[in-house]
Amino acid sequence: MHHRHRWLAWVFLVPAMIPVAILMYYPMVGTAIESFYSTSFINPNPQFVGLELYRKLFASGEFGTIVWNSCIWTVFVVLFQNLFGFAVALLLNRELPTSGLMRSLVLLPWVLPGVVAAILWRFMYDPQLGLINSFLIRIGLASESQAWLAEPGTAMGAAIVAAIWKGFPFSTVVYLAALQNVDREQIEAATIDGAGALRRLIHVVIPSMREVIAINLVLTTMLTFNYFDMIWVLTRGGPQNATHIFPTKIYELGFGQFRFGEAATYGVFSILVLAVLLALYFLARSAGGRRSMARG
Amino acid sequence: MLKTALIAALLGLAMPTYGYAQEIVLRFWDNQQTESGLSQYQLEAVKSFEAENSDIKVEVTTVPYPEYQQRLLTAVQGGNAPDVSTIDQIWVAAFAAAGVIEPLDELAASAKISADTFFPGAWASANYDGRLWGIPFNVDVWQFSFYNEDLLNAAAIDPASLATFEGLKAAGEKLTDEAAGKYGIGLFAHKGEDTVVVMDSFIFSNGGQVLNEDGSCGLTSEASVEALAYLQSLAPYAPRGIANASSGDMRELFLNGSLAVEFWPALEQPTLQKSALNWDFVIGTAPEGKTPIGTFGGWNLVVYSDSPHKEAAWKFIQFLTREDVNGKVVDLIPANVKAADAFLRANRIGPERILEHLDNAAPRPLSPRYLEVSDIQVTLVQDVFAGMDPKEAAEKACAAVDALG
Amino acid sequence: MTGSSRLGRAGLALCQIMLALVILVPFFWMVSVSLKPGTEPFAIPARLWPDNPTLENYATAFRPEFRIYFVNSMVVSLSTVLITVSLALLAAYTFTRMQTRMILICMSLVIAAQMFPASAIIIPIYKLMRSANLLNTYASLILAYITVTLPVAIWMLRAFMARLPVELDEAAAIDGCGPLRTFFAVILPLCRPGIVATAVFVLIVTWQEFLFALSFTSTREMRTLPVGINDFIGQYGIRYGELMASSVLISLPVVAIFFLLQRQFVAGLTAGALRG
Repeated sequence: MHHRHRWLAWVFLVPAMIPVAILMYYPMVGTAIESFYSTSFINPNPQFVGLELYRKLFASGEFGTIVWNSCIWTVFVVLFQNLFGFAVALLLNRELPTSGLMRSLVLLPWVLPGVVAAILWRFMYDPQLGLINSFLIRIGLASESQAWLAEPGTAMGAAIVAAIWKGFPFSTVVYLAALQNVDREQIEAATIDGAGALRRLIHVVIPSMREVIAINLVLTTMLTFNYFDMIWVLTRGGPQNATHIFPTKIYELGFGQFRFGEAATYGVFSILVLAVLLALYFLARSAGGRRSMARG
Repeated sequence: MLKTALIAALLGLAMPTYGYAQEIVLRFWDNQQTESGLSQYQLEAVKSFEAENSDIKVEVTTVPYPEYQQRLLTAVQGGNAPDVSTIDQIWVAAFAAAGVIEPLDELAASAKISADTFFPGAWASANYDGRLWGIPFNVDVWQFSFYNEDLLNAAAIDPASLATFEGLKAAGEKLTDEAAGKYGIGLFAHKGEDTVVVMDSFIFSNGGQVLNEDGSCGLTSEASVEALAYLQSLAPYAPRGIANASSGDMRELFLNGSLAVEFWPALEQPTLQKSALNWDFVIGTAPEGKTPIGTFGGWNLVVYSDSPHKEAAWKFIQFLTREDVNGKVVDLIPANVKAADAFLRANRIGPERILEHLDNAAPRPLSPRYLEVSDIQVTLVQDVFAGMDPKEAAEKACAAVDALG
Repeated sequence: MTGSSRLGRAGLALCQIMLALVILVPFFWMVSVSLKPGTEPFAIPARLWPDNPTLENYATAFRPEFRIYFVNSMVVSLSTVLITVSLALLAAYTFTRMQTRMILICMSLVIAAQMFPASAIIIPIYKLMRSANLLNTYASLILAYITVTLPVAIWMLRAFMARLPVELDEAAAIDGCGPLRTFFAVILPLCRPGIVATAVFVLIVTWQEFLFALSFTSTREMRTLPVGINDFIGQYGIRYGELMASSVLISLPVVAIFFLLQRQFVAGLTAGALRG
């Protein structure tokens, strides 16, 4: 059936390709071109300036901070969303009377509109009115309120926790679905061979979910890197740029200060940095793959 | 053949005289004030406008504040701007420089609308580069120091002392007891314009400037640095977490009785009226002997260059800023001075005090790049509250402002 | 597999309940705030239950506009889910079975678009929608959402289908099934959990999407639920009670839908498909 129906593949792929080309590539290329002009709201006639805006970008101390913040943010949120999500998926995979309800309840953080979740967490972190400080003081883990979001040292961590809570259900749902398709025969064979639950997990379950894990990691990386709502509402990128990441910086420049040219420049870099992150992941993966193949 | 053409031409000329009413749809965007049922009043006003002008139909779109700036910008950049809208005072210069709004000098002159009709600060904010770009719609001043009478009485503090630098600081010290969850002064420094206007008011009241007359940075002047140092000294009397606190957060603390003094414009009054608190206010803070100067804020009405209905838009603007209408369609104070007087007497406590503060208030720098200056100022005040030496922080800020060119 | 002891199962159930608590604490807070009347200030220290609980916020939240926003969200989300999942299924299937270098490259380019920062390109997209006269219509949102979710859906479904061995197809072909029949009768049922996961993903992404919805809609009548939330956020303060009540109302439908669907999800537990 394969080669005769090759054209079918293209027929099915075209509905994805055309809208993406028109609505995403075309604007993005346009924006990238804009970054070579002195594009600005207040300048109705932009001039070609080449790499001038990029030079300004590097000269400002902020750029390095934003790259660093974006990487920290993405790596930690993705890592813990996937780990926690996977653990929860395992937990919810059991047929217990509570499982049915739990599987739907676990969706709640994800379903909540991003802005509302962020407002909620901002409130919970509030130094005077928030739950988190009251709770920590009540159980004796803290002697006084912490201004989690106002201290440069704790703001990013606080934002990361909130983002993990918000997004882990996605990973849970994906991993739960993947767990359904794990080959029952292989599991039983392993059990018969005397493998315990952990052994089965590592040597049978996870390898059989390889594709799904990989795609989930890539997806959550891309989605998290560009995740705007949480940080914008929590801190607007502050205090003193401690939580400023690419999406918030781009929005602030473009819509907050009408600086479209610089927003475009950051936009182009946003893609480059993310691409590097993903490339690093793929490199690590293929290195790991080669290693396990060598082990035979 | 000629006869037919002639008849057709005559008919064509005759059409307008038959009252061939072409209804114009005027698209008006406004910032939605969720605190009151204002949209309802606006719609009523719109209906009476439509009654007075039968050939104009007004399509009102109210946009919630958090998205107003973004939506408006998107529409303007996307070539889909409305015909007339309100815009924040601080956007006027940028919109004018971008060429997206119409200068209104001639229209205003012929309609005999001039500076006297409005508060000086409001009129100033509508001018840029020697031309008039908008008509002031509503105004307010940051800030008034609203205080909790009970807390002040319990600490035996004279409210009038809050109006002086020294008095405010002393009061702050007496009123703050963190262990008991009580705070004296509601300082906030999150990334927002409210942070900037409060800081400006302290700088102005001390005689400093943000931008000097010649456009150079005024933040490093002795008076400005002094004001910043003063703010820094107040930090221990504010609730923890200044760098991420907003005026809204301070309001919540004020309402639940843990904050003694909050900084808000006059529009805070309706909220306080609804609460169970005993409150009053003083008009800002300045060093002993000086007059407090507040920071002007508010919205202006503009006509967009791409609008095909500029005359209708102008009629609508004149209507909205008329003395008898202005008061009914705003949530802040009407920019029309006479309307403001009536509005304040009818709706607010202490109208004279408010008017006095309005008269003394100064606007923020009127520059197309104001928003970038504002961002630099936020960084400045965050640095100051984080403990940086005020002079150093001011120098850093001025360097950034000068780099804007 | 079912050899777990009674104690083990009870322990797991306990774990699930603890998990629920951890996840749901912010929701308890949300509900608590939603029951607080507007004039009651927030207490220090934070209290989980208001003094005078009231349902007035829910009454306000369920205002007429809410129903409009709800319908809009429903229409846009469900349309997107149906179209996206259908197209993605077909694409993913052909992708796994007939993969060439060229196809792989194209699909990688398509998914790479997920890296583009939305706020950097929203204005050009707005201009495109405007020239197509699609502003303020369902079509603009549906089109934008399909563009954004279809690539992801294809990749997700492909990952779920990847491990289905080709032998299945061949067995079916031997049995006389054409490609379409193979697809519907053999492959599809095996992918049910994956399909549900993908559908839920698309549903939730579109249900809470904000930037496009904000930019493409102007009139009240066309706004979706997330944009409607902003009605409660003013320049000078957030109406917390009503905001939280509104959020509760927004979140529940999706959870309810998933509750019904999740039986489909785990139906695979009893399927002995590979033996057939």
